[in-house]
Amino acid sequence: MREKSKTQITLIILVLTALGLFLANRYLDPYKIRIINLSGIYVTLGLSMNLINGMTGMFSLGHAGFMAIGAYTVGILTMPVTMKEMNFFMQPIVPFLANVEWGFLPALFAAGLIAAFFGILIGAPVLRLTDDYLAIATLGFAEIIRVVFTNTQSLTNGALGLKGIPNYTNIWWSWGVALVTVWFIWFLMKGTYGKAFLAIREDEIAARSMGINLFKHKVMSFAFGCFFAGVAGGLMAGMLGTIDPNMFRITLTFNILLIVVLGGLGQIGGTIISAVIVTVMMEALRFLDEAMDLGFVQIKGIPGMRMVVFSIILIIVVIIREKGLVRRPKGRELTYAKN
Amino acid sequence: MKRIAGLLLLVFVLAMGASASAEVIKIGVFEPMTGPNAAGGEMTVEGIELALELRGEVLGRKVEIIVVDNKSDKVEAANAVSRLIERENVVAIIGSYGSSLSMAAGDIVNKAKVPTVGCSPTNPLVTLNNPYYFRVCFIDPFQGTVMANYAVNELGAKTAAIIQDVTQDYSVGLSKYFVDAFRELTGDRNSIVEMSSYNTGDQDFTAQLTNVKNKMPDVVFAPGNYGESALLIRQARELGIDVPFLGGDTWEAPEFLTIGGVAVEGAVFSTHFTAEAPVTEESEVFLAAYREKFGREANAFAALGYDAYMLILDVIEKAGSADSQAIRDGLAATEGFVGATGVITLDENGDAVKSAVINQVDDGKFIYLTTVEPF
Repeated sequence: MREKSKTQITLIILVLTALGLFLANRYLDPYKIRIINLSGIYVTLGLSMNLINGMTGMFSLGHAGFMAIGAYTVGILTMPVTMKEMNFFMQPIVPFLANVEWGFLPALFAAGLIAAFFGILIGAPVLRLTDDYLAIATLGFAEIIRVVFTNTQSLTNGALGLKGIPNYTNIWWSWGVALVTVWFIWFLMKGTYGKAFLAIREDEIAARSMGINLFKHKVMSFAFGCFFAGVAGGLMAGMLGTIDPNMFRITLTFNILLIVVLGGLGQIGGTIISAVIVTVMMEALRFLDEAMDLGFVQIKGIPGMRMVVFSIILIIVVIIREKGLVRRPKGRELTYAKN
Repeated sequence: MKRIAGLLLLVFVLAMGASASAEVIKIGVFEPMTGPNAAGGEMTVEGIELALELRGEVLGRKVEIIVVDNKSDKVEAANAVSRLIERENVVAIIGSYGSSLSMAAGDIVNKAKVPTVGCSPTNPLVTLNNPYYFRVCFIDPFQGTVMANYAVNELGAKTAAIIQDVTQDYSVGLSKYFVDAFRELTGDRNSIVEMSSYNTGDQDFTAQLTNVKNKMPDVVFAPGNYGESALLIRQARELGIDVPFLGGDTWEAPEFLTIGGVAVEGAVFSTHFTAEAPVTEESEVFLAAYREKFGREANAFAALGYDAYMLILDVIEKAGSADSQAIRDGLAATEGFVGATGVITLDENGDAVKSAVINQVDDGKFIYLTTVEPF
């Protein structure tokens, strides 16, 4: 009985979301659609990072690097052949990629798989580290990727960046991927793997003594996180139409970390909400940058004011709700918060 | 779910923006006002605001500029431009400092068919294949070639070494065209004796400079950010490299002089503009107005911002219409527009064909050397 009503609620939510997106896509202007797209991408990013940091308890700061891998994979694979010739005017592109032009779906899959591959590659040696050490190692890896992409002129066009990536990303892609991510992580966390992740987070030694293969589970969680980070990076490339290595600086990782912490470590629902709020707020607060006319006084616009206000709001939220924006009763779905 | 519904509502509420009155002509400006590129963005906006003060009306209608911050971030730049178009209904856009930020706006203005004039993005990719993007500055290929010409013809250099900032697109672009032109001018494929790279933020350049010193070039071409470049030249002088250093427009910043001190004396760079030798009558007007408003000498970025604004207004006046499409067509046909930075003609890509200025550091000041006409 309870199971059935839950399925019904899930279905209703899905239908409503689809309807909302359909209406938004139809009646909103490109600016608002862009924000909605960005929210969807940040939902995917937030969840993928939460899987690694919040649910498995591995403090990783490598997200920007994996996004870069995904973004460049999609960029290079989907870009039309003539556009590639224009882009690579300094040094021609490596021959085996010169005539490649894939569809968006296979390119996104490739983006995720390559990011996951590198995730496993870096994860295998590095995941033996814990806490701060892991953070430093993954952060270093993300920087390495950025530096490599800056220097491989004939593969990534170096610092000049890529331009003219087809704008495939729309509401259906960004939120479709976000929903798949939600479903996948929810499904994963419900099963034995999820339980093992949580056990590892709570106490590694206890988990190992219960027969959980630490290495296997850590690498698995890390690889899944990287896969979705890569896909989200690809969506980002498809949305902007242009990418360059400087986009994927450490600040990008911190933006995602912010969403994860604000939403609550280990919380799926919280991450979705905080991703949307953070993205929308940054745009909604833009009026603070503008000149204000309060009738009796006129205030000259101060650029950056919105960031100040945004940070103050963040500090307040973190103080009041240190376990995340959303507080749910224990034992409910979509919550794997640390006790 | 209530919360999500509330959020969706918030998104919808965003839609209720200010509605534009038909009388005012709105021109959008998106520039990095915060973040690592903030200094450049601020200088540009100063120039645009000055231009607005001097000429705030066209076709009997008031002009309003709307400045939005792009946070020196690509995603934000795309959002900012989209906001200008959809919420503010601007007829034309000016921006941005930083080629990568301009490129992020490219697809959006192209799709929305809103003409955009860049002030200082010098990467050739910005206007390429985009009929709605123009710029009032020259591009890297020209600047690199100008410096190679200067090195060979004025300094009589036979060999050169390159030290580039590999993370900056303009630095890589300038180096590439300098190398091509230098090789052609000297007729010697081996005339570039050393090519080394560093990253933005580096503090120590001893390794690169030691290599350069061993090769004993006649000149060193080292385009890069003013901070790193000034440090690099200081360390070069300490190592005993006493050949001339050449660079690009980014060196024109007071910090270049303060960080570099005596070491940067004699450094030569190409730029868009000089306060010392007004190129046109418009330059004098601009310089005088700038001095009066800000109490200091103008720089190239302010001048380019000024030109971008004046060019758009000139086009609106000539077309007799503030319609986006009319402005685009007018911009594409720009020929011989007299701006503060020179006489501007836009080529088929929307890039300005105009003269470059070569400046030298002398006695702690930027001294005008010569003007190079486009070839």
